[in-house]
Amino acid sequence: MSEKINDQEVITKHDITKSMLIYYMGAELSNSYERLQSLAFCASMIPILKKLYTTKKDLSEALKRHLIFFNTEATLGSVIQGITIAMEEEYAKKPSDSAITGIKTGLMGPIAGMGDAIIWAALMPIVIAIFLPFAKQGSFLGGILPLIVYPAVTITISYVLIHNGYNLGKKSILSMLKGGKMKSIIFTANVIGLIMMGALSASYVKITTPFVLTMAEGTTIVFQDILNMIVPGLLPLCAVYGIYWYLTEKGPYYSRILLTVVIFSIIASLLGIL
Amino acid sequence: MSILLISISMGVYYWFSRLRFGYTFSSMLLQPVVIGVFVGIITGNMVLSMQIGAGLQLVYLGVTSTPGGNVPSDPALAGCIAIPLGVLANMSPEVAIALAIPFGVLGVFVDQLRRTINAVFVHMADRYAEDANTAGIMKAAFLYPALLGFLIRFPIVFAINYLGESVIQNLLMLLPQWVLHSFEIMGGILPALGFAITIKVIGKKELIPFFVVGYFAVIYLKIDVMAAAIFGTCLALLLRVFMFGKDSESNV
Repeated sequence: MSEKINDQEVITKHDITKSMLIYYMGAELSNSYERLQSLAFCASMIPILKKLYTTKKDLSEALKRHLIFFNTEATLGSVIQGITIAMEEEYAKKPSDSAITGIKTGLMGPIAGMGDAIIWAALMPIVIAIFLPFAKQGSFLGGILPLIVYPAVTITISYVLIHNGYNLGKKSILSMLKGGKMKSIIFTANVIGLIMMGALSASYVKITTPFVLTMAEGTTIVFQDILNMIVPGLLPLCAVYGIYWYLTEKGPYYSRILLTVVIFSIIASLLGIL
Repeated sequence: MSILLISISMGVYYWFSRLRFGYTFSSMLLQPVVIGVFVGIITGNMVLSMQIGAGLQLVYLGVTSTPGGNVPSDPALAGCIAIPLGVLANMSPEVAIALAIPFGVLGVFVDQLRRTINAVFVHMADRYAEDANTAGIMKAAFLYPALLGFLIRFPIVFAINYLGESVIQNLLMLLPQWVLHSFEIMGGILPALGFAITIKVIGKKELIPFFVVGYFAVIYLKIDVMAAAIFGTCLALLLRVFMFGKDSESNV
């Protein structure tokens, strides 16, 4: 079916890094509703596949194999690339009943879950928030530093993962996924993420009420003072938790929530309660 | 820079950042604090530009982290319109943020349009794969979606910036105080949406007390965000050892 590759070491470290960079550059660029990241993944395999398959027929087969539906979190997803490259190499030497597609589709779900929690929910807001004080003071560093730090950290992670994925192969990755290490990393990331969300909510959600009740004897009751006596920062906490509750109970209707906030703000402004 | 050049620059910036060229790099380009740097350079008013960017950033801090890359709102469209117009009209950050919100919603539909049309290029790639045409696949993965993106993205931002300046100026003079105040309320509440989305994405109900810890650490102990990041990380790492033991390291 295919020409056997004589060389043992056809795929160099350089090829693997190149593959990682193509995926990094294009993962969202060609993203479509139909097959999401499939096109970027296929493109990223080109430097590898061109070396492995010398006949047009084999190359075409291999390219088509990677144009099937694929979607994951692309930073951690590079580990799937590493494994896929190792498996393609095997396959090119000895074409057999291949598990390439099965492994890819099997891994993309769990990896996406981890990546969304670590790379997007925890790391990204933290990086932005740390440098936000610069921005609030009007310094360009508040924008430049996140623009450098976040990609630098994530590309380093991708680089390590793709080479590890390639060297370790599918077995060790599967055992790592089942083992406690991944669980404990996700736990740590989630705890940091939630503490940060709490700290950011307290710092940046600003809701106070100017509502003042004037009694008959001329004494006034300042509503915000009463709230502060009970628990300071009660209103912002209610806002975050209320929206969170709505998201979990009703689903991700972001536009509806946005609209509700807009209408609520106008009414609150008219009535003078906020 | 003239308003024409500023409008063109913002249109190009919006196109390039929304191109998503470079997975995590472009996701930062989309953020209002980074757009703020760009607007600061082209308008010469870095301070106000960054302040509006910082305020707008809070609204969108949690928004990037939605699973599957479905944007619930578009910080880049909001930023590429509200920051330059805000700077040129010398608005307070709160008003500029309120101006941004509708465009953030509009951006969602623009992205849906893009990802629907992008399917065409996958079918092109199917045919190129049939012929083992790797150069064709690379074009379908990079060049064609980029050209499409320009057609969709550039005109909106260019037109609104170019036509918007004088309109916005007059509008702000006409608006009664209660409208402006409702914008301020909105700007205060909207960050809550971003944070709530992130908590939802993290998705561990039983860990919510950590959110409360972070919240009241700032309220009562008056620590800043960086301090919360340091203490929070240490707390998380210690808890990890207690919960999973030291073995969790070697379990590869």
